[in-house]
Amino acid sequence: MKNANEHDFEEVVMKNEKPVLVDFWAPWCAPCKALAPTLEELAREYADEIDVVKVDIDENPALASRFGVRGIPMLMIVHNGEEKGRTAGTISRSRLDAFVDAHVDDN
Amino acid sequence: MPDIAFHADPAIKVDAQARLRGHIDAKRFIFYPAWEDGAANVIGAIIQSGDQQAYADHLGYPIALVTALDSIVNAYSTTPLAAEYAQSWLDRTPVGADLSDIVSQAIIFLLERPELVAHARGHAGIETARQAILALHRRALQGDAPERKAWKVVRLAAVTASDQAKDPLVRCAGTVVEAAAWPGTMRTVLHDVLGASGRLELKQLMQEIGWTDEEESQVFHIREQAEIDGRMAELSGLDRVLGLLDADNPQLAGRFRQRLDQFEKLGHVYRSAGAEILDLFSRAPVPVASR
Repeated sequence: MKNANEHDFEEVVMKNEKPVLVDFWAPWCAPCKALAPTLEELAREYADEIDVVKVDIDENPALASRFGVRGIPMLMIVHNGEEKGRTAGTISRSRLDAFVDAHVDDN
Repeated sequence: MPDIAFHADPAIKVDAQARLRGHIDAKRFIFYPAWEDGAANVIGAIIQSGDQQAYADHLGYPIALVTALDSIVNAYSTTPLAAEYAQSWLDRTPVGADLSDIVSQAIIFLLERPELVAHARGHAGIETARQAILALHRRALQGDAPERKAWKVVRLAAVTASDQAKDPLVRCAGTVVEAAAWPGTMRTVLHDVLGASGRLELKQLMQEIGWTDEEESQVFHIREQAEIDGRMAELSGLDRVLGLLDADNPQLAGRFRQRLDQFEKLGHVYRSAGAEILDLFSRAPVPVASR
């Protein structure tokens, strides 16, 4: 998994040739921490198909504002510079897999 | 690489048993956290931290089994009962046993529980997915590991079927089925299936007494308001909640006591899975080289 910030977000996410799953999180967010191992697993399993990128909203408030992040964890899939889908709150491993498949296979 | 219990070294088992026994005898065995000031849970007692991977590596258990261990132990209502299970976990694991199949076997046990089957059959798609997932786990046990794509297809079918189900209990059963749609090597698969099974159990127990989300919300708001205005601050925890309810809404207080009684029954699914795992340990094959 990579980290992105306000300076490299365009390169790391918006101009990425692969679909990107962006995880908006914060260090104080317990559900975000609970989700982290699931995302690590997903990043390993989908390594050939997608990149998983984490964005700390405390460090990068402009990105949270730009994408209208109202609650965390918030996951967003971006491909070819466009948002393809988002889901907020905790999510099971199976549901996360279905979410990624629904928005990645179509591209 | 197979998961060989205690790496076929009797000394590793003896050492783990002694460490656990030491914590229990010293009354330093706790539910949570894993390790704090010398007090430890089932994981921390062995490796002095909550690192599940380190526990799995040290003792030779599959990581997907270890990620479920503390939730099983925590389903016991008292520390002595939890400690007894933790000891049985080690005692009943034969040195050198091949534990590689235990997770899929435990998932099959959970998918075949009558409580789940009854609700899964409430939606044809969920029942079809349950059967398909059982078949994949059985294939894996026969050494014919299904490909990633096969798991993915049944997983998505299970998620779709769960979303279609209208009955809350059937939908909840669907989430158990979809959580099981992973190979037994997936790190959290057993933990996730147990969690979903526990939520189904909770929903069923609450439905038995007709406890509603509205009642839950009423209790929450009475408690929340008391936090703001400081009412009955001389009481704490459950005593305070019950005191507030008795004063404000005696009928709801009676219902809440019923709810608490139902809560006492929670954890059965974890404990029955835990008992099944101990039986699976006893039956696990011990390769000839380990004897």
